[in-house]
Amino acid sequence: MAEETQMQEVGKAPSKRKLGHKTGSNKSKKKSKVFHGGTREKVRKMDPRMKKLFRKRARDYNSDDEEDEERELEAAPVIRRQEKERSREKVRHGKGQKHEEDKVFDEKSSDEEGEDGDEGVAGEENEVSEDEDGEMQPGITRFAEGCKAFRMAFKKITKKSGSDDVLGPVLSAHKKLVVEKLAEEEEERKVKGDAKKEKHVVKEKGHVKPENFLDSHEKFLIGVATKGVYAFHMCIIGLAVVKLFNAVNKAQNAQKGLNPSRSKDAKALYSSNGCQHCVLTLPVISKRRKEAFFSELGKAPFQSADVTTKAGASTDGDGPAWAPLRDNYMLTNSKLKDWDKLPEAPAADDTGVPSDSSSDDD
Amino acid sequence: MARFRNKRKVAFVRPMAKKQQQQQSVDHVTGDKIPRSFVFARVKLPGPLKQLQTDLRKLTLPYTALKLKEKKRNNLKDFLNVAGPMGVTHFLMLSKTETAPYLRVARTPQGPTLTFKIHEYSLAVDVVRSQLRPRCPKDLFKNSPLIVLSGFGTGEQHLKLTTIMFQNIFPAIDINTVKLSSCQRIVLLNYDKEKKLIDFRHYSVRLQPVGVSRRIRKFVQNHQVPDLRSLQDVSDFVTKAGYGSESEADDEAATVSLPSDLGRVNRASTKSAVKLQEIGPRMTLQLIKIEEGLCSGGVIFNEYGMAILQNQAEYDLFFYFH
Repeated sequence: MAEETQMQEVGKAPSKRKLGHKTGSNKSKKKSKVFHGGTREKVRKMDPRMKKLFRKRARDYNSDDEEDEERELEAAPVIRRQEKERSREKVRHGKGQKHEEDKVFDEKSSDEEGEDGDEGVAGEENEVSEDEDGEMQPGITRFAEGCKAFRMAFKKITKKSGSDDVLGPVLSAHKKLVVEKLAEEEEERKVKGDAKKEKHVVKEKGHVKPENFLDSHEKFLIGVATKGVYAFHMCIIGLAVVKLFNAVNKAQNAQKGLNPSRSKDAKALYSSNGCQHCVLTLPVISKRRKEAFFSELGKAPFQSADVTTKAGASTDGDGPAWAPLRDNYMLTNSKLKDWDKLPEAPAADDTGVPSDSSSDDD
Repeated sequence: MARFRNKRKVAFVRPMAKKQQQQQSVDHVTGDKIPRSFVFARVKLPGPLKQLQTDLRKLTLPYTALKLKEKKRNNLKDFLNVAGPMGVTHFLMLSKTETAPYLRVARTPQGPTLTFKIHEYSLAVDVVRSQLRPRCPKDLFKNSPLIVLSGFGTGEQHLKLTTIMFQNIFPAIDINTVKLSSCQRIVLLNYDKEKKLIDFRHYSVRLQPVGVSRRIRKFVQNHQVPDLRSLQDVSDFVTKAGYGSESEADDEAATVSLPSDLGRVNRASTKSAVKLQEIGPRMTLQLIKIEEGLCSGGVIFNEYGMAILQNQAEYDLFFYFH
């Protein structure tokens, strides 16, 4: 069956040989007509059934239907047997028919089987001999041989199954198969694409492209960063970039008069490192300056209380309310040794209201 | 062959560049211990998350390993072994599950570890692409950023812990000696009480002189010959006000007076406005778990219920050590 698909393709491209065939067929048809006209009495003797059959074949041949051709081919051996018994005239008629058959075979053979190649040549020779003169004898014999060879070739072809072809034969009966295959392929591709897309989605999970404009939330965040308050739980230092800059300004201006010896100061600062925990990971400041600094910062939460939703708990002027900020934090505390044995368990933070926990911290 | 290779497990962590500078673990001015950080991944990350990792490394500059190389077989112990000698105090670990990416922030030798679920994130590249005029001065990443924590004052212990953790990732600022020109970046963490989400943003700080018309400011900043075609006289260039944007008007609170010169434009004792421009990455985090140890140990806090340890003293202990 696969061969037939190929055959079709080849048939599309005009080849010299084929053209020759076509002319040959026309000639043979004409010839047959001439013969009909010329020897009437012999025609009359022809079996009407056979005649009908031949006509039908001729018609079938002219209509380019492959299936019909095939049917025709199957009937070929029978015809040949009958022909042998018939007269020359009939043979001639049959020959015309045979030619047609030859052509079909030729087309096939020229495409794939090399052994059929000479067969086709034989057919042509037949033709030629016919045209040149009326002598038919060698033509008939050769023709019979050719037929046998054709039969063998044909059998060989029919034995082959075209199932190994991917697309299947392009016969009308199997067109559905091709469509099915294509649909399947399409579906496969779709599934593949879906899988790829899914993978991509998993990869890009959470990835968001920001908008070109600043929405209200972003503006709010920028506002917070610029002038907002860094609210820490207990020690409230309202400080943002602006506050920091201003505080630095104040501190450094105040410092100008003092001019402390740096290294010594630093050492002192390091020991009193309570301030590490304040919000901006602020400063390590010496004791005497810390007071001033906090009093400066202490104003902050009240100034910009609108920005944050902070709860009260403000710092006093004299010292930070939150324990870790005090200088003596953890130094005098002896209960820390067995902290895990302490019975006190504050209210659950996550379940409780935030205000609750803040109150018990105070 | 594989067996032999496994036996000598060597951490393939490239040492930090600029050893001479970075090896000093104590700030020479304040005497503080400088915190350093590693940013790495625990699993094989997809492309965008890898980019996020590099962004986070840039964010934690200069005290970080920017070109930290990790291999598949490197486990946490390898990093920990390297962290000790190098003075690395914090780990930022990215991981990913099918539901979402996660960020873990851990204090090195013993923890604790905070686990955040990353609900949304945008890379620095995305942020830059969204801006008309992205800004990246040369020395932007030369100094560590300021950290701004906002909205964490609800009094809950785990939030307190979070703030402390994030503060300690970056070195403390000595307010007496700090140079304002080194304050170039800001990391903002804003806690949304209703949604229980933390907005993580990274901004660059820019100072602009206030009280000068826009034209003159641009003229001074850009070094370009102004277009005077529409003006009658040169004096018009100075006297004509021009239009001002609305953001300039309401910035009374955002002005600072500088103690010292800050570049060519912002002189000491002149007023300057603080302008922030975002430089990614951007993240929306949700705190889901706090563990006692380094990615192990008892669970101090769990977002999805089952808070096991609610001991006040435990937090105190943590505060003491860090």
